[in-house]
Amino acid sequence: MMEKIAIYCEFDYRNRVLGEVSYELISKAFELKNQASSLCGAQFEIDAVVIADELPLECVKKAYRCGANRVILIKNRIFNAFSQTIMSAAFIEYYKHNNSRIILFPATFQGRLIAPRITTMLDTGLVADCTGVEFIVKDRELKLAPTRPTFGSELMATILSKKLPECATIRPHTFKIKEYESLEGEFVEFDYFTYPDYRIKLLKTLVDDKEDLSDFSNAKIVLCAGLGIAGNKNREYLDKLQKLAHLTGAKFACTRKLVDFNLVSRANQIGQTGSTVQADIYIGFGVSGALQHICGMKNSKTIVAINTDENAPIFDYCDYKIVYDAKVIIDELLAQLFDNE
Amino acid sequence: MNIVVCIKQVPDVDDIKWTKENNLDRTQMLSKINPYDEWALDYAIKIKKSKSVDNVIITVISMGPNQAEESLRYCLAKGADRAILLSDKFFAASDTLVTAKILSCAIKKFVPDFDLILTGQLAPDGDTAQVPVSLAQLLGLADANHIVDVYKIDKNQTLVAQKIDNTIRMIELQNPCLFSVKKECDKSYVPKIADYIRAQGAAVERYGAVDLELQKEEVGFIGSPTVVYQSYRPVIEKNTIEIKENYSRTIMDFLLKGK
Repeated sequence: MMEKIAIYCEFDYRNRVLGEVSYELISKAFELKNQASSLCGAQFEIDAVVIADELPLECVKKAYRCGANRVILIKNRIFNAFSQTIMSAAFIEYYKHNNSRIILFPATFQGRLIAPRITTMLDTGLVADCTGVEFIVKDRELKLAPTRPTFGSELMATILSKKLPECATIRPHTFKIKEYESLEGEFVEFDYFTYPDYRIKLLKTLVDDKEDLSDFSNAKIVLCAGLGIAGNKNREYLDKLQKLAHLTGAKFACTRKLVDFNLVSRANQIGQTGSTVQADIYIGFGVSGALQHICGMKNSKTIVAINTDENAPIFDYCDYKIVYDAKVIIDELLAQLFDNE
Repeated sequence: MNIVVCIKQVPDVDDIKWTKENNLDRTQMLSKINPYDEWALDYAIKIKKSKSVDNVIITVISMGPNQAEESLRYCLAKGADRAILLSDKFFAASDTLVTAKILSCAIKKFVPDFDLILTGQLAPDGDTAQVPVSLAQLLGLADANHIVDVYKIDKNQTLVAQKIDNTIRMIELQNPCLFSVKKECDKSYVPKIADYIRAQGAAVERYGAVDLELQKEEVGFIGSPTVVYQSYRPVIEKNTIEIKENYSRTIMDFLLKGK
């Protein structure tokens, strides 16, 4: 019997194309399909489901090349990036006629809003923000086995669903897009009639062009202050580090404790209740490395840690380790900069 | 106006302890209210104090073990009027869908005339952000998340600001509605000793599966559609180099190289 993997493909209303993550998910589904066939001979088809007002032909073709057997466009002019409730209802309409065994959603802002809505309507489970997914055979049954990080990535959990469909949201940039020129598919479109959701109204969209201190997305170098340079709640070295960051074009950041002590604004906080950075270089000055902080910075390319305590947990996660007083180093760095002037 | 705030007691992520089998040792860990949920409560208290709506009653609801009562009392000390603890051995290991079902049953039964439900955007232990969306769906409410401010509220409408990256959207929701917050409120009340004393004397209502007319097959481990198959701690593979001299020169090279 032929079963289906449905991919919820997110339409990018600004650029009027499918988001890249859609192709990542279709490519992964193609791999899963081959895996299922070699594990137990199970046959799958891949449906790429798009909810939008239109879909450019080149997107459809690229979806075929990644492995979609069908591209299904659910059309309605009132859909926009903001109508989750009716988009979820539209997807259910597709599901009713196709009974997909598996549904994969992108763990984007929109995907994480739509997926729980759809799975709640279907009374099934949903595994959030997965970074791995494969098939396993358990008790002679083929099961989808998505894996996700929890506790700030300190614990990886593989979670199975007892009910069908088996659903997961998948973190963008997790899987590579693979295209095969020889693959072709079928295009299906249908109109979905509905009224707008009058209970929710978008009044205005503003772009915040003030420099957002909590926006670390473009930060190349991050200098992060920890409690180790703010003993007795003394601001002196926090100010010095901020100055150093300013002079070298780096971004100043801090750990949660410094925010809790009202020494630095929350906008500068890195970690679970703050921002996440993926800098080229992260340097921690007197940062001990609490887990909630580590999960906000560990994807930086080069991590340098300075701490007087040689057993500080941050040393387990760094590329360069310096067991020394960060305050002295800050003074020396500032002195060097002024010597050069 | 009736406002419901859903809260979760979470392990302190600064203080994680592991068992020999690499599972979280929750018995050895400190617990506290999820910071996002505390921010949600702060917004509810701000609405109450703003006097833009009359007779605000704030009810905090938590599903969890007996210890979650501490977090509820903390909410009472901060200014919540009523606290409900949903605790039952059959609720243990409920996943996001079942948690949302239990919460929705409790809200329908014990706060049927609610106007507003506030939640935190996520909880740092699980980080799924699924419960608020599921709850809105089960109660048939308009909802919005990633909320960073509440501009205006009256009996019929709530005007909130949603922030995603650098885009701010002003959204008007028809009450009853649900929204989840991801930013601390500009006004957060820090309870004083007298508040704690008052909260210790206040009642925390407790309900279990029977009170919610839920069968044990519908909830907890048995009722949850998802189940943890295995868990492991990822191995960190870092070839850490220790720098033993010329500290500031080396750091300066990093700073100049990265430019």
